[in-house]
Amino acid sequence: MTERKSPTAVLREGPRALSDAQVREIEDSSLEQVLNVDIDDVIEYVHKDLRSLPDFTTLYRKYLKQRWDVYDLDFSQDKIDWQEKMTEEERQSFIAVASGFHHGERQVEIELPVFMIGASEEEKLHIAAQIEDEARHTVFFDRFYREVVGLKGDDIMDILDASFPWVSETFVAPFGLLAYQADELRLHPYDERARVRYGTNYFLWIEGVLALSVMKVTLSYARWRGFLPAYYTGFTATCRDESRHVQGGMRYLQDAVRKDPTMISEIHDTLRTILSVSGVVSRRIYYEPLGWTDDEVRVLFFQQLRRKLNDVGIGLSPDLEELLQKVQPVLAGG
Amino acid sequence: MADFFTKEWADAARDALTAGPDEQARAAKLQEYWDFFDFLKSIYPASWALGCRDLPGLGSTAYLFVQWGGGAVTDCRIIGPDDPLQATYVLGMDYRDWKALHDGYDAQRTVMYRKIMLEQGDLLEFFKAIYFFVESLAVIGAVPAVYP
Repeated sequence: MTERKSPTAVLREGPRALSDAQVREIEDSSLEQVLNVDIDDVIEYVHKDLRSLPDFTTLYRKYLKQRWDVYDLDFSQDKIDWQEKMTEEERQSFIAVASGFHHGERQVEIELPVFMIGASEEEKLHIAAQIEDEARHTVFFDRFYREVVGLKGDDIMDILDASFPWVSETFVAPFGLLAYQADELRLHPYDERARVRYGTNYFLWIEGVLALSVMKVTLSYARWRGFLPAYYTGFTATCRDESRHVQGGMRYLQDAVRKDPTMISEIHDTLRTILSVSGVVSRRIYYEPLGWTDDEVRVLFFQQLRRKLNDVGIGLSPDLEELLQKVQPVLAGG
Repeated sequence: MADFFTKEWADAARDALTAGPDEQARAAKLQEYWDFFDFLKSIYPASWALGCRDLPGLGSTAYLFVQWGGGAVTDCRIIGPDDPLQATYVLGMDYRDWKALHDGYDAQRTVMYRKIMLEQGDLLEFFKAIYFFVESLAVIGAVPAVYP
């Protein structure tokens, strides 16, 4: 970890170009080598193939090369950093952000299997791999909360229960919607319109916008301060996994719209619901100790959304543009 | 104290919903969240039929019907298994999960963990008012009652 840019530098710098060597470094790094990869490069890598999205077999083959063993991580230095180097304000901010991810990984793991039923055979391979990824990410957070934060529990649900008080009340909007959309697919697994609505929430909003933004906040803090090496390693490897998920999800949505252009209305309707409840917060998360402000995090959300929509060629209707303008803060100087 | 899923309990639920979350609940969240909640409540035109499956003594599903209008509950009653059922949104939950909600299980997780599921109604429209629904579900769960 040589480069120590401020966590929010990328907001003002804009998209960065990745060299072939950087792409190879991201794609081919072993778990130990991931520690040296810049999280901003990995997030840029997510977008690299959005304009010419890889097919599902290619994504599955990447998964076979990139999967990692969550039990190889050693959290002993992280525990020292957490207990002795981080301030109480930093710990509280970190845990408030990370808890959404702790619960989010569990939700995306259990809500994905039904989407596989109506998928092509090649996409089924990719989704099966993604389910395994999400299970591994759930274990990653379980280990982090036990071994670093020090939460106690007999099983995974005990630890989820213990971290839930940090989860914001507005979490229910995307993740409750996902649970209900999954139930809709359970009943109607071949309903393409329902699948597109589900895909918009899961792949575009939750994974493409929320997850990548939250990852960026805690990972850039860890890199900036040189803390939590196992967290940085595991979560950056998680981000590399997410690049496959987002690319696969965008591929699905792009194909669905190309096959039936009227599907764009399902994407718009889903975004209309999501955006109409996204401008509200129920509790203040103090990002400042991690190097961010509230508005900068929200700017990050909407940058992620716009980039993905632009890259895969999905336009917004005028009323959605207006809704987006209402909920999107303006970054001073950005 | 009223018995769960009786007319007396439905009357108490109506009063509690119209009053809204108590001061303790309000103090735990930001004012902007409650402003949004109050705005939704003031314009919410829909009705809910909240089912309780495997209701003890009944063995089948009964519903708590809640009609909103003008920022208040305009109709709140129990709909039995053989009565006609019509509501904007029909949802269902097992008796044991109703009891867990009453015993303090989180309303947000009741939705997220699929304890209560939408059985009829427009899903995307329903979620535009999801914070209003979740807070209202918590209010209903907290209504004092004897659970069999």
